[in-house]
Amino acid sequence: MVGSAPLWAVLAVPAVLAVFALTAATADAVLAARAAGQRVTWTVLAAPLAEVPRLLAAQRRTTPAPDALLWRLGLAAIPAAGVLSAVVIPFGHVTVSRMSVGVVWFNAMEVLTWAGVWMAGWGPNSVLSLVGGYRFVAQGLAYELPLMFALICAATGAQSLNAADIAAAQGHLWFAVWMPAAFAVYLVSVYAFSFLGPFAYPAGRDLAGGVAAELSGPDRLMLEAGRWLLLTSGAGMAVPLFLGGGAGPALPPWAWSAVKTLAVLGLLVWGRRRLPVIRADRYAELAWVVLIPLMIAQALAVALVVLTMGGPP
Amino acid sequence: MDVTGLLLRAGATRPHVMIAAMPGATAVRLTAEEQLRRRGWPAALTPADADVLVVAGTAAPDIAQAVEAAWAAVPAPRVRVRATRPDDVAAALDAAQAGLASAADQRRSAATRDPGSHRGHDPGRHEAMSGGHHGHDMGGMAMPAGLPMAGRAEDRDGLKLDQLHVALGPFLPDWPAGLVARLILQGDVVQHAEADAVGLMADAVSFWAEPWRRAAAGEQVTTGTAARRRAAAHLDSLARFLGVAGWADAATAARALRDDTLRGTPASRLGPAVRRFAARVARSRLLAWSTRGMGTLRPDDSAAARAAAAAGGQPPLPAGDVTARYRRWCADLAGLAGLLDDDSLLDSSLLDRSVLDRSVLDRSVLDRSVLAPPRDRGGAGQAPSAVLLAVLPRLLEGAEFAAARLIVASLDPDLDELPARAGTGHGR
Repeated sequence: MVGSAPLWAVLAVPAVLAVFALTAATADAVLAARAAGQRVTWTVLAAPLAEVPRLLAAQRRTTPAPDALLWRLGLAAIPAAGVLSAVVIPFGHVTVSRMSVGVVWFNAMEVLTWAGVWMAGWGPNSVLSLVGGYRFVAQGLAYELPLMFALICAATGAQSLNAADIAAAQGHLWFAVWMPAAFAVYLVSVYAFSFLGPFAYPAGRDLAGGVAAELSGPDRLMLEAGRWLLLTSGAGMAVPLFLGGGAGPALPPWAWSAVKTLAVLGLLVWGRRRLPVIRADRYAELAWVVLIPLMIAQALAVALVVLTMGGPP
Repeated sequence: MDVTGLLLRAGATRPHVMIAAMPGATAVRLTAEEQLRRRGWPAALTPADADVLVVAGTAAPDIAQAVEAAWAAVPAPRVRVRATRPDDVAAALDAAQAGLASAADQRRSAATRDPGSHRGHDPGRHEAMSGGHHGHDMGGMAMPAGLPMAGRAEDRDGLKLDQLHVALGPFLPDWPAGLVARLILQGDVVQHAEADAVGLMADAVSFWAEPWRRAAAGEQVTTGTAARRRAAAHLDSLARFLGVAGWADAATAARALRDDTLRGTPASRLGPAVRRFAARVARSRLLAWSTRGMGTLRPDDSAAARAAAAAGGQPPLPAGDVTARYRRWCADLAGLAGLLDDDSLLDSSLLDRSVLDRSVLDRSVLDRSVLAPPRDRGGAGQAPSAVLLAVLPRLLEGAEFAAARLIVASLDPDLDELPARAGTGHGR
């Protein structure tokens, strides 16, 4: 079963998360290059990594009368939320924090980005940033409730809020199979809280980058890294919640965790390029009229199955 | 070990480039965009993300200040280059990359930089938040950083909200060159809008209307040439529209097809690709869902339309919303895809010369014809794009920011069609 983690695992979380995030960003760069009709060369493969020295060497932008404290705090909160949300994700046999309310912790860390993105938008005292910050709040109002119901479905199915317990409860049947609506809503919400792909509205091109419009140098690096860390953490959490965690034939559990995480990440990276941005007001309509009732029905179905069968199938 | 030099060289492998496109320099902008795509250099959305500022075309005096403001907002290490002809672009980009990688160049540039210049305004920043004819005198209050506070007025729901005076343009991603939209925003809702043109050159002519201008001057122009130019113009408009709509891959595909169309890729290969692309965009339900009901033009819209109707012409702009407008481009592209290599001569008798002198379009023949200049539907006595600019303020008022950007992109006025300095009848 899932063992307790050694102390060094605390340091390993950001490192492992960063490696997966970099892999995802590299895959994204390859897809972008192919869409532009370029050949995939070493320069393309190294592109996300090359952003790091580029941004570290760049001057930090200041604006007239910024709220510097909120601005920097907000920017720091985004990657911090990505890393902290990952401490409850079981990786094979190892979970850094085996807290009993891991799912709630994950959700809380992801909600931390609401404050982070809003403060990052407010800080520079600039119209485009501010509109971007508010867009994230509007988007949050739309995606958050369906996401919480999706998390509740998985927790109800396993009768536990501990991510490792939820993974262990899927011995016979993955939750993704018998609660597909919850799985789909969860995946869509991963785009939403990392504001990437169809949910890049707060950092939209129409806003010249929105919350990122006034960011240069290390500030921009934090925001961009934060988005990819959040996406990766979201993909990682999908594995214990819906895909049976580290269980699988032949390979050791950590390998299955890695393979499944990469598969979800690959799906998210591929899907993000195929859709236009969904404006928050339109998504709010869909979320509240269609998705919330759908998720309530899904949660009800899960509860009935667990009650009648005495546990998950 | 020279760490700075190492960082600079690593950072310069893939510089982010912001193109500041001047009116009258469409060909230079197209070449710059194509070069960036082929080199795999990202286009910066904002000066804050740029390493290189490319000034495409010649800056007229009334746009030079905006160029300086954009340049002031580019963080070091940085390089500014200028390309006035399409052939200059590649060399300018090479020089920019070399300059970025050179620690000596960057030290020299940093030494000459005005220490306060990095605090410059970029095009999207609120300038003069209150004042002018919408003045809200805030008395002797101490203002942060010397900026005036926003005034307040009732919003569409009757609440008293701050008013922000924001000038959009002239340099925004996917934005028509030379366009400035002066908005009063409450929250992100446009309360009042004026459309203005800056940087127009007296001798500029529209790149997109070139084949028709040549035909009217008596040159022999083939149908294929005209069809290619019109298709490329629509693909360019679609690329910007899809960019604003946040569909990056489709926008990239549109740009690639646009460049192939202008480079003369044979129709046997290009035609089916254009048709497939147009069908894919027209079919997207998500795009239609998120643009429906925005910027709806009524058939009797605008004074220009009424004037055109009075002059016996048809309504200058077809009715419909943003969705209808981009789908019209797609439908046009499907029609043009079969004509790309048509070597029959463009029948110049179809062309009313005065159209090409930026005035009346002969509606009876050219309206809705796939062989008209790209922004075909002009009004009486006005260039087509002047009509587009004239209806813009009314469409923008009441729209949210995202909708406002989509509306501008769905009209995509070509300011090179405007007579220089005549403005738009709005604003100045």
